[in-house]
Amino acid sequence: MSTIASFGFWSFVGIVAGIYTLFALGVQVQFGFAGLLNFGHVAFMGIGAYTMAILVVKEDMNMWAAAGCGVLLAMLGGVLLGLPTLRLRADYFAITTIAFSEILRYVATNEDRLTGGSQGTINLAGIGKTAQYDDQWRSFLGSVESGLHVGGDVAMLIVVWTVALLAVVAVWLMMKTPWGRVLKSIREDEDAAASLGKNVFAYKLQALVVGAALGAIAGLFYAWQFSYFSPDDFAPLLTFFAWMIVILGGLGKAWTVPVGAIVFGVIFAGTRFFDFPPFSLLDSTERAYLRLIVIGLVIIGLMLFRPQGIFGSRREMVLE
Amino acid sequence: MSTPILAVREVVRTFGGLRAVDGASFDVEQGSITALIGPNGAGKSTLFNVVSGFLSAEGGSVQFEGRRIDRAPSHRIARRGLVRTFQVPRTLTRLSVLDNVLLAASGHPGERLSGLLLRPARARAYERKTRHRAHELLELVRLDKHAQDYAGVLSGGQRKLLDFARVLMTEPRLVLLDEPMAGVNPVLGRQLLEHVLQLRAEGGMTFLFVEHDLAVVMEASDRVIVMNEGRVIASGTPTDVRSDERVVDAYLGVVPPT
Ligand SMILES: Nc1ncnc2c1ncn2[C@@H]1O[C@H](COP(=O)(O)OP(=O)(O)OP(=O)(O)O)[C@@H](O)[C@H]1O
Ligand SMILES: [Mg+2]
Repeated sequence: MSTIASFGFWSFVGIVAGIYTLFALGVQVQFGFAGLLNFGHVAFMGIGAYTMAILVVKEDMNMWAAAGCGVLLAMLGGVLLGLPTLRLRADYFAITTIAFSEILRYVATNEDRLTGGSQGTINLAGIGKTAQYDDQWRSFLGSVESGLHVGGDVAMLIVVWTVALLAVVAVWLMMKTPWGRVLKSIREDEDAAASLGKNVFAYKLQALVVGAALGAIAGLFYAWQFSYFSPDDFAPLLTFFAWMIVILGGLGKAWTVPVGAIVFGVIFAGTRFFDFPPFSLLDSTERAYLRLIVIGLVIIGLMLFRPQGIFGSRREMVLE
Repeated sequence: MSTPILAVREVVRTFGGLRAVDGASFDVEQGSITALIGPNGAGKSTLFNVVSGFLSAEGGSVQFEGRRIDRAPSHRIARRGLVRTFQVPRTLTRLSVLDNVLLAASGHPGERLSGLLLRPARARAYERKTRHRAHELLELVRLDKHAQDYAGVLSGGQRKLLDFARVLMTEPRLVLLDEPMAGVNPVLGRQLLEHVLQLRAEGGMTFLFVEHDLAVVMEASDRVIVMNEGRVIASGTPTDVRSDERVVDAYLGVVPPT
């Protein structure tokens, strides 16, 4: 059976889209709702994944507790990133966030005793002793499989999407509250919000931290899906994937994120099947780059013809 | 005389070499309607920005209800009850007209994550009360028909009215209005003026407003403060100010109508 028709392949695409949904939802909260230009979002994913893996392997911690610590530490990271930077102008903040994520990646690469270094978590217990942090996850997934009478991929698909959709609903509900209203007002005009007594800085910090938690949860699933990972998995490119997803789907709405993630996932995976001329003239690495070109073209096309995203509101876009 | 609700002393604010506010001092009495007038560029809006914490003062002090506010951040000044509008309305265009007003509610427990999660019923009850009040205020400024529209569809004059409704929603004690009637249709402008008079009479609210239409100033205000080139050059009752030579000079000989 060819890959394009293979169920295993598409369920993999679905799992990744679910993880991206969680990840990009963080950007939607931060930028789509609060107007924060966070270009270092991948850092929160990395903090979540690494904290969990390190605590399980080195401290023998219960994996679920370790996962909770990962999310909390990412939230703390959000506070530490936000405290000195959120009062800066939007563009300076954006630059600082990239620096934040890149610094963490370099630290993770070089502190091999803590993180396993550039080879990744496989070296967490020391070189040559293949470390594993996901035993508990495997047995959990096993019980889902037998409970629902499904295969491993499907079980993962169900778990990831359950969590992702719960998160989407939670964000949707939050944005309908008065708290969400304040966030949107800050995105629109911080001075207006401040003139009505809203502590703009405190709300931006909260948005950053909520987004950080979502990024960390995505990081946990990333870790569980791939069984081992390394610092280079958390390169800035991943942050930009989240941005593309949010822009593809549409800004300022929670439910556009899973749509954006699925579209992104399908384009991304779909370009693998460009095995007809002229694409068949390219070798496989070149074809891998082709997917980025295709996504770039889709975004450019979208900006030209549907700047509000696939499901964004045109009317909101043109208001001044 | 009771202590003034607002005391501005020797406030200085420069932009590069330009002394936009250059040692301005004045008082606003509790419960008064005070007009701040002066030619274009006199520094009126800059002064508003300093008083409301949007610009820092480079010299001098500002006291609100007897407490220094010249170092306080803008949101804290607003929470204390000193709320301002902007000369160019700061309408939140991608929020509904109703949401613009709802946003202004003060002390809303639903605006805190802790309040939402721990006491959701209380947050909901407060939101209901807020909604009710917001609809009343929108009716007051005749924008109730537009409650569900994006605020971005409103005209300039309607935006001024929306800002006014928003400010009232905060339940302020001192309101700073920067040209509240500019661009507002005259009938509505007149109504706005009446609301101001009524709110002062009933709620004891104090108003400080910038206005270029001197007929309105003479009619509505108890006291007038005149600024020119960053300084207060005269203040007093409308009648006093009208006959003041410096004022007539500052207005280049344009004699205010009687
Ligand atoms: N942010 C700024 N940067 C530089 N100059 C400014 C700034 N804001 C105001 N000014 C200048 O300061 C002076 C006072 O301006 P301000 O807006 O306070 O005057 P105003 O009395 O409100 O005038 P108007 O009646 O036209 O609204 C003007 O010369 C203006 O150009
Ligand atoms: Mg002005």
